[in-house]
Amino acid sequence: MTTIKQIATLSCTTIHGLATNLGLATLALGLLAVPVEATEHAAEESAPAAFTESDFLKRSRRLIFDGKRSGEGYFSPDGKQMVFQSERIDDNPFYQIFLMDMETGDVTQVSNGTGKTTCAFIEPGNGHVLFSSTHHDPESARLQKEELDFRASGAERRYSWDYDPQMDLYIVDPATSNERRLTTALGYDAEASYSPDGKWVVFSSMRDGYDGELTAEEKKILEVDPSYFGELYRIRTDGTGLERLTSVPGYDGGPFYFPNGERIIWRRFSEDGLTANVWSMKADGSDQRQLTDFGAMSWAPYVHPSGEYILFASNKHGFSNFEVFMIDVAGTKEPVRITNTDDFDGLPVPTPDGKQLVWTSSRHAGKGAQLYVAQWSHETAMKALAAAPLRGMTEEGSR
Amino acid sequence: MTNQMSSQMRHPNSSRLFQHALSPLLTFGLVTTAVLWVAPVQLSAQQPAPAAQTAQTAQTASVEEHVRYLASEKLAGRLTGGPGETLAAQYIALQLERLGAAPLPGHSTFLHPFEFTSGSKDVGTSLAVNNTTTIEGTDNIQALSFSDNGDASGNLVFAGYGLRVPDSDDFGYDSYATLDVKDKVVVVLRYFPEDTEGDVRASLARYSGIRYKALLAREHGAKAMLLVTGPHSPNGGQVMPMTFDTAVSGSGIIAASISGEVANQLFEGAELNLADAQASLDTANPHVAGFALSTSVKLDVKVEREKRTGTNVIGMLPAAPQEAGSVERPWVMVGAHFDHLGQGGGGNSLADASQRTAIHYGADDNASGTAAVLDIARRLGGDERRKARKRSIVLALWSGEELGLLGSADFTKQAAATGEPTDAHRGFKLEDVAAYINFDMVGRSRDNKLSVQATGSSDAWPGLLERSNVPVGFDLSLQSDPYLPTDSASFHRYEIPSLNFFTGSHQDYHKPSDTVDTIAYDELDRVAQLGSLVVRKLSENDEAPKFLQVQQTRQDAGSRDSVRAFTGTIPDYATEIEGLLLGGVMAGGPAEEAGLRKGDVIVKFGAVEVKNIYDYTYALDAVKVDVTLPVVFMRDGERMETEITPRARG
Repeated sequence: MTTIKQIATLSCTTIHGLATNLGLATLALGLLAVPVEATEHAAEESAPAAFTESDFLKRSRRLIFDGKRSGEGYFSPDGKQMVFQSERIDDNPFYQIFLMDMETGDVTQVSNGTGKTTCAFIEPGNGHVLFSSTHHDPESARLQKEELDFRASGAERRYSWDYDPQMDLYIVDPATSNERRLTTALGYDAEASYSPDGKWVVFSSMRDGYDGELTAEEKKILEVDPSYFGELYRIRTDGTGLERLTSVPGYDGGPFYFPNGERIIWRRFSEDGLTANVWSMKADGSDQRQLTDFGAMSWAPYVHPSGEYILFASNKHGFSNFEVFMIDVAGTKEPVRITNTDDFDGLPVPTPDGKQLVWTSSRHAGKGAQLYVAQWSHETAMKALAAAPLRGMTEEGSR
Repeated sequence: MTNQMSSQMRHPNSSRLFQHALSPLLTFGLVTTAVLWVAPVQLSAQQPAPAAQTAQTAQTASVEEHVRYLASEKLAGRLTGGPGETLAAQYIALQLERLGAAPLPGHSTFLHPFEFTSGSKDVGTSLAVNNTTTIEGTDNIQALSFSDNGDASGNLVFAGYGLRVPDSDDFGYDSYATLDVKDKVVVVLRYFPEDTEGDVRASLARYSGIRYKALLAREHGAKAMLLVTGPHSPNGGQVMPMTFDTAVSGSGIIAASISGEVANQLFEGAELNLADAQASLDTANPHVAGFALSTSVKLDVKVEREKRTGTNVIGMLPAAPQEAGSVERPWVMVGAHFDHLGQGGGGNSLADASQRTAIHYGADDNASGTAAVLDIARRLGGDERRKARKRSIVLALWSGEELGLLGSADFTKQAAATGEPTDAHRGFKLEDVAAYINFDMVGRSRDNKLSVQATGSSDAWPGLLERSNVPVGFDLSLQSDPYLPTDSASFHRYEIPSLNFFTGSHQDYHKPSDTVDTIAYDELDRVAQLGSLVVRKLSENDEAPKFLQVQQTRQDAGSRDSVRAFTGTIPDYATEIEGLLLGGVMAGGPAEEAGLRKGDVIVKFGAVEVKNIYDYTYALDAVKVDVTLPVVFMRDGERMETEITPRARG
């Protein structure tokens, strides 16, 4: 059994809810332990044991070695570039954004080295890079130094994501380093991705928590867990046409378009932030459907390029034991477990040709999680989905 | 890979000076080399063209062709100083020529000979006791292989086990604490206190190497040392055989081993006899001291050493012309040893006795690494690559590695001491080397796995390997520890960032069964591809990797002769895992008898929790021959326990 500390070293946008919930977990740990153990037990009885990790993933290997931790690897439509975040530069302890040329291995830094950054995505057509950054924040230099001093002191603390309200969306042309700021509202704007035609950006924002119209109770929540205010928005790539897509209490985040651009997949946390599930909706925010109901944290969904199924991560097999699962796009079948290796496995992202899977793992027993890559067997995935039993829908799940 | 690692490899200052004699090989021109070289099957080189022409017309050989020639019957295991080594050196020199490499600045040939001691024998060592009796004959007295020649006289002092354990090791022990041995002749017991256990035993074992004992005796002013194996120890009373010890000269002391019978004679009239004296010491009570004997002796050591010549083969791929001083450390080195154990292995063979004199082909160890370096030269040759190159690439194929990293140690020592750089790429000095990349045993990649060792020697390595591996796609395992039993250690001691590529140890390691048919040639080709990308980036980047010192897990002042217990386990060095993964067990060995097998992960050995290979070595130091120990191991995810009875090493 891994420890809470191990997962907490993982840090990526789509796990932000998790990080915060772990913060809360110091209070609520006793509460959590009971339902999770119960789920684990139930899961073992129902999980089909016909397929194992090596049936889905061949020639698994670690892709990233440099730096303390890395994550969030996403590909250009031609698969030749991968953008990712990594803690690897000397004077900034926080994530910066990098592009890797998948043919030569050359790595170039895209973000300017100041502040915190996260969650990059490559713009279809022109190769520009969209990501969130706080580099405009005059406090950046001080925060970097404080964190570096803290780490130099040898002290350790659990990793936690602070939902920095300074986070805004930027689009950078890596060829010229020219940048364009897409959002300016106070409150965390992040977890952004493009529509396949490159015309829209969908993202999560906590701006509701900073609009000055909070009740006393909401103010209290903001102090403990700003992600409670996380809602999905879309905006045109040119910065016009901002639209809100969700309005349910609790953290909505990690949205990505389906390959055909018609729907969006994302994960929604419960109001208390203790569980999360994968949902899908039409690109305009209508027809919201819940696809998973593990009663655990199921998050970081991404649709396979075939459009047949969704890969996601869940800790249904233990509070800190995240594994990769998949489920059919309509969520009619019981999810199929993909990974079966100790320590964290999550944030699965297939390459655009659907033949490889990049994900984040701490299976090397190192302190920080890093990106891994393997050959992905679509054939096995289709067989496993066909063999999976129908999912028993809960009342909530059928709405 | 060498299975011995003397303490010298880690301590530059104690390294001996090789006297460089001009070898006949040095005078060979390249054309002569080509004529002498008998071609492998794919080339008809009966009448080779002149070298310059050959370079343009000959097809370059593949990694498989390199391995098949180097590990062929004809080369007979490429023992350093033997005819097989000469053939191998000539083959490699011809390949370098064909690939467009040039000799190093100031050299007219790729061949770099070095002299080494290939063996030593006792030619009449004697001990005169109290000016009355003289003891002779190798059953009674024999020089220790590292002893100086000469004689020494003095009163005898019994110095116990002749051991000192530094206080820093949680446990202090000093046989010399209360003894005055200046200008005396000391008698010391071999090994270390026998009735000790656990940490104390392990600490003592670490410092019980015979060379280390001789060094201590010398430091305390003793004129000579006599070594006796106590009656309570394994092989008690026997004269120690003159082991093949390549790090032979420069001990600065006269030393011999004597039989128990001779020792008893020396102890006549003493307060305790030898057996009782040993018994009083065997608990390692630090307050039990040695004592003066009432005997005086004259020790006359006569030892003859056989000198031979080994040959490194070294060439370079020059960089594009650079302005002097414009490139930080303007050389990159890539290398592999090409020597192996020949026939008989000089004590390093792990074959069954019946197989020990068969040819040890050394296809993986290290025809594979040699082929990788030649293939890297092929990939990086040509004008196009040269234009982008800011650092010149040195291609070094070492000999003498199996005898103790002799070739690379000789080269680094010479290069550190000399070299007059005239401009950025004409001179060659060791301190101008940005990095050294080594390949030792890279022919057995399985399941896409490849280890890269010594990555702790620079923080540039993880990033460089990450980028280089993207188009190659190995399942890399990065291992930080730079203290390795291979030629990268010769560079590490001069604080040059280094790497070693390694596909793991195996059942055929140092056996005649390490043959050409066991090599994964396609994977070897990919190793060369990855290596070429690493070397290319090093040669084209502006920055040179910064050296980082890695803390050594434990001092290893003792040499391998302190590890006496034989367990018959074959560790799998390639897989990073908590515990010790067994790559196999030796047939008929204690591990096999204990029911252990390949794939088991030892997590506890005796009282020692085993988290890594060091813990395991440490655990082995602490075990006693013929004393049964519990072993806890994981098999198929299940925790299991058995008992093992280590034996004395054969």
